[in-house]
Amino acid sequence: MNLDNFGMDTITLAGPLEAKLRAIQDAGFTQVMLSAADLVGHPGGEDAAVAAVRSSGLRVTGFQVLRDFEGLSGHLHAYKVDVAKAMLRMCRALGSEVLLACSSTSAHAVGDPESLIKDLQKLAMLAVPLDIRIAYEALSWGRHVNEFPQAAELVQRADRANLGLALDSFHIFANKTRLAALQEIDPAKVFLVQLSDFMWEEIRSPDDRIETARHYRVFPGEGVHSTRVAEMVRTLDEMGYRGDYSFEVFNDDYRQLPLPMVAERARLSVKWISGLVSRRSLPARRSGGAAAVP
Amino acid sequence: MSIREPTPEPSNPLGLGGIEFIEYATSKPQEFGSLLQKMGFSAVARHRSREVLLYRQGSMNLIVNAHPDALPGLSSPGSTPALAAIALRVRDAAYAHRRALELGAWDMPTRASAMELNIPGIHGVGDSLVYFVDRHGDFSIYDVDFVPLAGADPGPPAIAGLHYFGVVQAILVDRTADWLDFYQSLFGFSVLPQGQYFGILPRGTLLESPCRTFYLQLIEPPPGSEEIHWDEGLVRLGLGARDIPAATRALQERGIAFVDRGTVQPSQKGALTQAYLGGVNFELVVSHLKP
Repeated sequence: MNLDNFGMDTITLAGPLEAKLRAIQDAGFTQVMLSAADLVGHPGGEDAAVAAVRSSGLRVTGFQVLRDFEGLSGHLHAYKVDVAKAMLRMCRALGSEVLLACSSTSAHAVGDPESLIKDLQKLAMLAVPLDIRIAYEALSWGRHVNEFPQAAELVQRADRANLGLALDSFHIFANKTRLAALQEIDPAKVFLVQLSDFMWEEIRSPDDRIETARHYRVFPGEGVHSTRVAEMVRTLDEMGYRGDYSFEVFNDDYRQLPLPMVAERARLSVKWISGLVSRRSLPARRSGGAAAVP
Repeated sequence: MSIREPTPEPSNPLGLGGIEFIEYATSKPQEFGSLLQKMGFSAVARHRSREVLLYRQGSMNLIVNAHPDALPGLSSPGSTPALAAIALRVRDAAYAHRRALELGAWDMPTRASAMELNIPGIHGVGDSLVYFVDRHGDFSIYDVDFVPLAGADPGPPAIAGLHYFGVVQAILVDRTADWLDFYQSLFGFSVLPQGQYFGILPRGTLLESPCRTFYLQLIEPPPGSEEIHWDEGLVRLGLGARDIPAATRALQERGIAFVDRGTVQPSQKGALTQAYLGGVNFELVVSHLKP
């Protein structure tokens, strides 16, 4: 693996969008994971933000994040459909092929699988004409879906080509989900993998989980779950996952440090991960029949 | 739920019953009109208030929309006629529309329709629309919006039994599965087995309408065509006929030229007209369908 397989995430960095893009690029990254705030918070408006991203030449790993979409009904559902459409339009404008959708935390959301599947199918359908794939992620404090095997089952049952999974190491470690369960997932259904770590062993309460997730994540290789990060990346690689990784590192310290310094830490993290799975850049060796074709 | 709520059978959830009309948008309606006449269509009616003409040939209705805001919020019609919409006959248009939106279709922009009537529709591929029409037969949508052209035969016969056969849709790489989901879940189309093709351009994936009266052909860019500009959209209309050589001859006599190079030769199976007006063409396909 190398830098080209990783998107750095704008949420890790402080400052204006242009400065973030420049720092990410200067560190050698070729991809960027964007969030809606990058667009709507841009002083020049959304079009200026889109132009900045497009002229940077960075490929867009994905766009985040649609929250609390599934499980609602009536006017709440209609409201969320409007939100989803706006997110999809922004995603399309950026040339992002992936929209990240997190499992619902809403107290108003029902949890019966049939309703959730129906809503995920609807979200996927909304995304079809815009050529966008929906990456559904189990948030560790999700109300009904909070571990990736649950999300994987819904995605499988929804059975839509443009609906897949986002796997986030933080949420997996926070809920101590078995990594072995990854092997039951079709690698083609993993649309995005988000990596991060944190610096303490135990998360004691749901509030602690949210607090850690939003303020105290670090890059892989910097935290205390390096063994598990390594196991996750190796497992995904052995499964045949060849998609993108992004660094979902929410960290208050990093948001008050010089951008080049933070981007450099991200680059070192890629180096650390590449040391774990160095052979990925030679996919021909692993892809069976295709290897015979020059 | 009211007692009158339709309870459609799963295989044809909308009660789809064929293509009511096909709509093209162009800023050169007269040039396109003369091409259509060579193809056997006759202008039969004019829209009451917009620059829109209704052409007809046998069972086929074809609308040419040159209204400047033919597609509001989208682009104005270009000079090359573009397939802008497919109108589907359904049992209950309001129900079909409501169901499509519930399943995640995008509602069409208001006033995008060529019609004054409130014909509901949704976004299709690219800039195109899909309308739902349930007023066909004795009292048709055209009676409200169109004024018959003086002296025009309202039911001009078809050349060599030509009828709507299908529409070719260009899609991007690896998008076949996405569009299959779209047409299967919204309309109940089914996929024909690989290798089952009609006509002379055996490519892509063929979808059959649940009413089995027309087809959609999804085509990804061919391998090695990375340099070609390839957008998603409706690209070509397919017309069916029982006897392709007879249909080809009849159209040639009317001044239509067919591609006769390489693998695309007029044959018993089909024929492809040359590209007119900057890129519009028609495909003839040997057809088992009833005109």
